[in-house]
Amino acid sequence: MTVKVWAFSEAPSSANEAAAAARGIAESAGGTFTVVGVDDGLGLAGDDKLILRSAAKLATSPEAAAEALARAVKEGGPDIVLVGATRNGKEIASRLAVKTGMHCVSDVFGLALTDGKLHGRRNVFAGKLLAEVVAPVPCVAIIKVGSYSALQPSAAPGTTRDVGEVSTKTRVVEQVEKKRGTVDLKGAKLIVSAGRGVKKKEDLALVNDLAAELGGAVGCSRPLSSDMGWLPEEHHIGLTGISVHPDLYLAVGISGQLQHVAGIKDSKVIASINSDKSAPIFEASDYGVVGDLYAVVPAVMKELKARRH
Amino acid sequence: MKVAVCVKHAVDEAELKVDSSGSPLLAGAASKMSTFDKNAVEEALRLKSAHSGEVSIITVGTVEAKKSMKEALAMGADRGVLVVADPLTVETRRTAELLAAAIRKGGPYDAVLCSEGSSDIYSGSVPPMLGELLGLPYFGYARKVEVNGQTARVERALEDSVEVVEAPVPFIASVVSEINEPRYPTLIQIMQAGKKPMEELAPDAILPGSGPAPTLVASMKAQTMARKKVVFEGTPEESARKLVEALAAEGVLPR
Repeated sequence: MTVKVWAFSEAPSSANEAAAAARGIAESAGGTFTVVGVDDGLGLAGDDKLILRSAAKLATSPEAAAEALARAVKEGGPDIVLVGATRNGKEIASRLAVKTGMHCVSDVFGLALTDGKLHGRRNVFAGKLLAEVVAPVPCVAIIKVGSYSALQPSAAPGTTRDVGEVSTKTRVVEQVEKKRGTVDLKGAKLIVSAGRGVKKKEDLALVNDLAAELGGAVGCSRPLSSDMGWLPEEHHIGLTGISVHPDLYLAVGISGQLQHVAGIKDSKVIASINSDKSAPIFEASDYGVVGDLYAVVPAVMKELKARRH
Repeated sequence: MKVAVCVKHAVDEAELKVDSSGSPLLAGAASKMSTFDKNAVEEALRLKSAHSGEVSIITVGTVEAKKSMKEALAMGADRGVLVVADPLTVETRRTAELLAAAIRKGGPYDAVLCSEGSSDIYSGSVPPMLGELLGLPYFGYARKVEVNGQTARVERALEDSVEVVEAPVPFIASVVSEINEPRYPTLIQIMQAGKKPMEELAPDAILPGSGPAPTLVASMKAQTMARKKVVFEGTPEESARKLVEALAAEGVLPR
């Protein structure tokens, strides 16, 4: 069979990650891939593009985007629809599976088509286990964020398809952009992250200074953002926060619960500073320092400064 | 207000053991209410106390799931419905179909709440599938839920923005864990929870002719973290020097 793979996201960068996965499947199994976007369709990769349009903006309404995509899928007949795992993307893919009766797998990577079935892997139990998933075709697969390197946008104009009117049951009354830090955590090469070992909000200065010295971004474990509110939620790294893949992840005063480690697994090097020798973070680290962060962080700062001169 | 909360009874990921071949020992493993579901139960209880009414807990699970049900009832929910099936081996869409059927049977509800994803599998697909299956307004990743008369107003926490979205009641929402701090039941509440009504439903009874549900998970194996696990224990100065040397040797420090 000649497999027909679609890569979709309402966000172009995420669509282009899915496109990398789609290209891999199409090339190895023998088939074609189409990159599907919405609205103006700018920034998409691939030679074959399909841009879905409606009177309403589709990018900001997952309900409308799912209906638009379902109409296009029923007409275009792809065997596999790959959807980027943004928060809205998960909704779109899940709705699509219900609308079309396609099987649906979530947060997958390492995809391949074998014996007419889509095979992939995914983390389960907060990353403690790796599951092999097998979905009969046709299917929808939600692609784990950051598991494929996005294809570069192309100049191909693509085909635009007006999907007609799509109604929605909810109405967006206000949209507030979150305040962005100076460095984007998802793309950061170096991240210094703070955890419960930091005793007072003011003491975050230690972590901020260390991140500044290293030219890195500041992250945190869940308690600091969700429970203490010391940092905005977008700094929260872990299962329910952001997954990161820096060259160096430096965990300061983080115990290393599974949910946190789930978000840092793809880091090249993990280092940690914690006063508790039995903290699970040391099991997840390449280099660990057992010691009081209030003494170790200044000492590390001094070493780094000395190294610079 | 009549509120339904979908909860999942899950193997405790922190306690899960594997055998020498790396296969998980799921049978008899320690289990708990899926971590983030407590936030959904809490939010339902807050809606109940603001608008009066009743909170129902709906679970697709094995009989073990009664533990989570009792915990939610102890927190203050009024009744429980258990659809007897194993969500770990059933395709996500079937879980959503079973929940939707149980919601239709016990409803109509003014609100259906879920968490953003389960602590074991964390697909996050069931809540939007419910929205689609039930044809109700759906809010994903709610960090604030308000009901004023017949209008629900929800703040959705997205990656780069917060959206304020409105829809008429009834509605479905998945909540993020920062929405609230779940309450702990008192000893008296825990003892009384056993007396609250709990109904068991067979999948065939609410979803007739649905046949066996496929599983899409072929296998699960432990993943080992291939980390060097070098630990420095000395004076802060010694350890700091060794750490910086090691990181420099890895080539991960800025030049």
